[in-house]
Amino acid sequence: MTTAAPENTSEPISKAVRGRKSRAREEELLVWPDLVFIEFICAVLFTVLILILAVLVDSVLLDRANPAITPNPSKAPWYFLNLQELLLHMHPALAGVIVPTVALIALGAIPYFDASNEGQGEWLSTPRAWLNLWVGAFVGFFGTLLLILYDASKHVVLFEMIANGTLSPQAPPTPSAEQYAAALQARGDAIPAGLQEIVNGSNPVLSATDTVPSEFYSQGIWNGASGYTAWPDSLEFLTTLRGIQTGIPWPEWTKSVPLGNLLRTDLFGFPRIELNIDISALIVEQIIPVTAMIGLPVLLAVVASKTGIAQSKRDHMIMQFSGFIAVYVILTIIGTYFRGVGLELEPYTIFSHG
Amino acid sequence: MASNERPQRGTLGDRLYDAAFQNRLWRSIFRSGYPNTPRNQMLAVATNVFLHLHPTRIHRTHVKITHTFCLGGLSFFLFLGLTISGVLLMFYYVPSVDRAYQDILALETDVRFGQLMRNMHRWMAHGMVLTVIMHMMRVFYTGAYKPPREFNWVIGVVLLVLTLLLSFTGYLLPWDQLALWAITVGTNMVGSAPLLGEPNRFVLVGGYQVGQAALIRFYTLHVIGLPLVAAVFMMVHFWRIRRDGGLARPL
Ligand code: HEM
Repeated sequence: MTTAAPENTSEPISKAVRGRKSRAREEELLVWPDLVFIEFICAVLFTVLILILAVLVDSVLLDRANPAITPNPSKAPWYFLNLQELLLHMHPALAGVIVPTVALIALGAIPYFDASNEGQGEWLSTPRAWLNLWVGAFVGFFGTLLLILYDASKHVVLFEMIANGTLSPQAPPTPSAEQYAAALQARGDAIPAGLQEIVNGSNPVLSATDTVPSEFYSQGIWNGASGYTAWPDSLEFLTTLRGIQTGIPWPEWTKSVPLGNLLRTDLFGFPRIELNIDISALIVEQIIPVTAMIGLPVLLAVVASKTGIAQSKRDHMIMQFSGFIAVYVILTIIGTYFRGVGLELEPYTIFSHG
Repeated sequence: MASNERPQRGTLGDRLYDAAFQNRLWRSIFRSGYPNTPRNQMLAVATNVFLHLHPTRIHRTHVKITHTFCLGGLSFFLFLGLTISGVLLMFYYVPSVDRAYQDILALETDVRFGQLMRNMHRWMAHGMVLTVIMHMMRVFYTGAYKPPREFNWVIGVVLLVLTLLLSFTGYLLPWDQLALWAITVGTNMVGSAPLLGEPNRFVLVGGYQVGQAALIRFYTLHVIGLPLVAAVFMMVHFWRIRRDGGLARPL
């Protein structure tokens, strides 16, 4: 086809095609029998394998579909559980549509980013290929794992484990009115009148040994009184990603910023934007996830080139691609095996997808 | 044609061989003799519509299993297997909310080899998703996406999406709780896209809820729409491999 390409052009395409001219006949085998035979063996092997699998393991069939009964958890097919896992950590539009779309476009664009002929046609043949593969895979896998553990507040558990010197840290149970009043007294705090009444027995409903009513109760004070070190209340916003929204006293005006008043599209003859933005939700659901998904790979690339781990485009490509695959794998594993009722992070859930 | 290669010695084996491979019946079906000489071997590949997807010669490194692990070929093989087992399943399946589940139950209990056929179809479907992903990884790590094969990589990405969609549309068909809710979760994800999400979800599901309209849409896409599109893209994929000079090799 392109054999007529002029010899003096130096575009990569013609170079690549011209490269084939040097094909050495003695290096070549006949497709029949060498390749056809391998293909045949492969096909037979796989037919047998699938047959054995199909005899041994039946596909699942649950009860008839019933729109009235939502199973808990409800899960997508396994190869989409990575997206469903993302859904737990960011805005649904991001997780369900934008991230997969961008990921697929980026995947398709790989050859256009890295058009060198370096390492072509051989397994990981460039100098630092394996190193970049492992670094990318390792960082992608464990980085994502850490982020998921963070969003499940596992660092809080870890902190309390270390601070209290126990493997199963548990905040002390809510005390009785009597016990709580004593704790307040020991701290030198004033006992609220209502609580005093209960302790004195002058409350018609509650007695001193009943659980302290929540309006008088502070978990933090009781933790302190019982010698339990809990995650500090002032760092509430660092318990989960969502904590940034719920653990910080956002001023009222940030909860509903009318976008239409800021972007006056009506002045240009377009319809006015009817959208009220909750700034804290925007930060938690969109800004932080997008920053992380773009920023962390970029950070990795920068560190990798500064340290000399990744030097060529192919190096970077291998690192990013391996990272991507590793993230896909860990998200799929977590979504498949470690999300139980209510999609809570659980130690291990049996795979229920036949 | 190949008659000048016919063995001259008249042993019994040669005469049997001639009777088997040099007769008119054989020659009417296969234009070349039995592929036991280089010439006939090349002719066998070049004159057979199925085999001529291949070149007649191939570089020796590409024949090594560890170069491709047969993964692209396996993806294609699974696609063919899925087509065959899928056609058999279609004999017993009516895509109606009232019947679909019963049909699958009947397939498993009343139809001879029905359960086996369903199992094979399902395992091959899961397998194909895996082999396609692994094939993509093999192509990436062997640097085979580089020029002049950029566009074939793009076609590959389209094939990956089609494979996932094929599997996803098939997931609804048994019409059990797993099917209904997996598709509900999946299509809700589509619905969450800004602006076009909800309209797209509506078109996909054919309503506000996964019901009869969704079942018939998924069924049609699963048994004819997507397989046709995938077949076309595979054709282009294979054609491009040949046009791009076979599998990638170090320059
Ligand atoms: C239904 C899915 C697919 C089928 C049936 C398929 C089939 C094949 C086959 C049979 C080959 C020959 C070599 C081999 O077996 O490895 C091949 C090569 C190739 N495939 Fe695929 N493929 C599919 C998906 C993909 C995907 C997802 C990608 C990448 C994103 C891709 C990119 C390529 C490229 C670039 C080559 C040329 C490799 C080389 O020159 O070494 N394909 N494909």
